[in-house]
This record gives sequence, C-alpha cells and structure tokens, in this order.
Amino acid sequence: MATAMHAAKSRLDIAAANLANVSTDGFRKRVAHAALTAKGLVTSSRTDETGGPLRHTGRAFDLAVAGPGSFFARDRGGRTIELRSGSFERDAFGRLADDRGNVLLGQHGALRVAPDATIDARGIEREAGGTAGTLRVRAGTAVQSGFLEAANVDAVGEMVQVLEAQRAFETAQKTLSAIDEARQKDVNDVVRVKS
Amino acid sequence: MNRALYAAASGMAAQQQNLDVIASNLANADVVAFKNAQALFEPVGPNAMLGTASTGVREIFTQGKLEKSGGPFDVAIDGAGFFVVERDGVQGYTRAGAFARAPGGTLRNADGWTLRGVRVDVNAQRVDVAPNGTVAALAGNGAVSSAGQIALAAFAAPEKLRAIDATVFVATPGSGAARRLVAGGDRQPKIVFGMLEKSNVSIVESMMAILAAQRAYEANSKGVQAADEMLRIANNLHRS
Repeated sequence: MATAMHAAKSRLDIAAANLANVSTDGFRKRVAHAALTAKGLVTSSRTDETGGPLRHTGRAFDLAVAGPGSFFARDRGGRTIELRSGSFERDAFGRLADDRGNVLLGQHGALRVAPDATIDARGIEREAGGTAGTLRVRAGTAVQSGFLEAANVDAVGEMVQVLEAQRAFETAQKTLSAIDEARQKDVNDVVRVKS
Repeated sequence: MNRALYAAASGMAAQQQNLDVIASNLANADVVAFKNAQALFEPVGPNAMLGTASTGVREIFTQGKLEKSGGPFDVAIDGAGFFVVERDGVQGYTRAGAFARAPGGTLRNADGWTLRGVRVDVNAQRVDVAPNGTVAALAGNGAVSSAGQIALAAFAAPEKLRAIDATVFVATPGSGAARRLVAGGDRQPKIVFGMLEKSNVSIVESMMAILAAQRAYEANSKGVQAADEMLRIANNLHRS
C-alpha cells in the first residue's frame, strides 16, 4: 500500500510540473505510467511528443511547423538538430539564433538574413532585395512564420490527473489504515490470550 | 508532494507575472508606439520536475498602424528603425514621434526626451518634414529655412534593447551599437509627417491571454491544494 501512495505522489508531481509549464512555449508534457511489479506499484514517466497548438506572436523570426515536418539548426556543440518551433533573434552577423544558442541552417551553412526579412511557408527567406536564402527543412514541411508552438499541456487533463492522484492517495491511505487496524486487533487479541 | 507543491507554486508565480505583463500591454494599448511585451518561461529541473521559471520579458517590434494626428510636429516611422532622442545626457531610441516645440527651438516629447538633429527657428510658424527626415521651417512671411534632419538609428538585434521608459530604449551589448540610417531611400524606412504610430497591442488577443492566464493560475492553485491535502493525509497516517 505504501508503494501505491508513492505512485499517487509521483503522479501528482508530474501533473504539477506539467501545469506549471502550461505557458512555456515548446514545452512537452510528461505522462505518468504505473506498472505493477514484484516491488509493488512503480511509476515511470515519458515525454509526450505530440505537437502543441500554434500561438500567434506576429514576430517574423518566431517559427513553427504546421503539420508534419521540421527544420534544421546547429546546436552549441556543432551538432545538426531538428526543431519544430523556435523563437529566433538576429545576431550581429545576421544569423538567426534562439536563446539556447541553436543557429538556424540554410542550404549552405548558417542562414544569414536582413533585419527586415520574412520567411514564407516553404522556408524561403525574402527581404527587401529579393530572396536571399532558403531554410533547410524536411521535404513537405510547412513553415509558419509569426507563430510559436505552445506547450502541449491540456490544463483540464492535468486537473483530472491531480484529482485522481489525490483520491488514489486517499484510497491507499484508507486501506493502509484498515490493515493497520486489523493488525492492531490481532496484536491486542494475542496479548489478551497470553495474559 | 513537496516537489508538486513547489512546482505548482512556481506555476502560480509564473502566471502572476504573465498577468502583470498582459495588464501592462492593455494599459498601454493607446500609448503612441508602445510595443506589445510578452513574458517568457522555461522548465526547471530534470523533466521539469521543479516547475517553471521566467526567462524575462520581450518586446515585439512589429510595426504599429500609422494614424493621422493633429499635432503640428508629429512624425512616425514607416519601416524599421528608431528616432534618436536625448534626456539628461542619456541617449535613447524611440518610435514614438509625438513631439512639441520646446524653448530653444528643439522638439521634445511629453516625457522630456529631445529629438536629436532638429532645431526649429523661433519665428517659424510651422514645419514640414520630408520622407528622408529633412525638416523645413516655414515662417509667417513665407520664408523657408532648414531646421535640420531627423536621424534614424537601426540595431542588429533590436529585441535586445533595454526599455527605460514605456516607449524609450537604450542600447545594450546584445543589441549592438546604433547604426545610422538615412530614411527615404529605396527599400529604406520613411519618415511620415503628420502621423503617429499606434501601439501594436491587440486588445482581443490580450483579453484572451488574460483569460488563459487566470485559468492557468487557478489550475496551479488546485495543484497546491492537492499537494497540501496529501501532506495532511500523510501526517494523519500515524494515529496514537
């Protein structure tokens, strides 16, 4: 029963962490998964990679992907990574980097843009002088400029998780108390027989 | 439970800050050239188990609508860039162009920021501003004299500017140094005379954001309550 209480506590921890990040752009929620093992109830969690809703910001360098697909960036360590959304800012060299230091990639190395550049659905970057570069994207990716992917946390679903965790905790506690009472009775009876 | 308690509390603090920023946007929705701000958050701890934390507030420098105004010295920027203004030796940058004549012939806005590069003759009755920023002063007898040129400044990363007033910013190492920008050229911003830039705050979007933030605050407070209730139950496990 103690492991059941632990499991309920873990579920509440996860739901609370998800709820806290309901306004964190690009956040992916964790989903609790309980399994009955020889050691009792064990809770693990995994990240739910479902995309969140797209939120309008109006900034030209806020990028998100509508539907399947992704775009490419180079992280601080020099690795090429795939992203689904990001808020990029133009640095002094005209490159677009997010606050984690991921630099957007074009067809040939880092994409360089003018301050007034816009990015269209196919990832083609346009500026006052015409087109200047193309974002490196997976084939068929529809890039949405002016949007960010919001957290994929559903507040209602997390509230249900909070309530369920609380009730499961109560149930486990009641059961534990019942077992405790039964044991107490056993002990008292045994003592009475001996005395 | 303690982890849940702190995570939920961090969520409440985050939504509080979110509401502060949205409320400020709404309050300034009618301020000339005010830029919509947005609070940003990031998850804390492995798997976000410690909740969330603010990473700051960011202004969104999209163009506001230009609106005809009655002011005789009103200017607006159609395109990127900032007016260069000065107050008490501090150089600032703003897109708010509601200026009035100050003693000495300079143009000053309501907060006391003086527009650089322009000095209007005291005898001038009105001024005219060309798209490239040159200011012509027209005297009562029809004489036209030059009153200087409005200079624009551009930044490599305008979003890294620091706000020191509702609509006035100063340069930071992140924004880079101000670059002089001559308006009016081909594919360059233009200075528009007799117009003011409205704020880029969308009332409808801000109202929706308030509703969402309030509900998120409430949901997080329920998380705190649930964690508290479970702690109470745990404490009552031991009955003497």
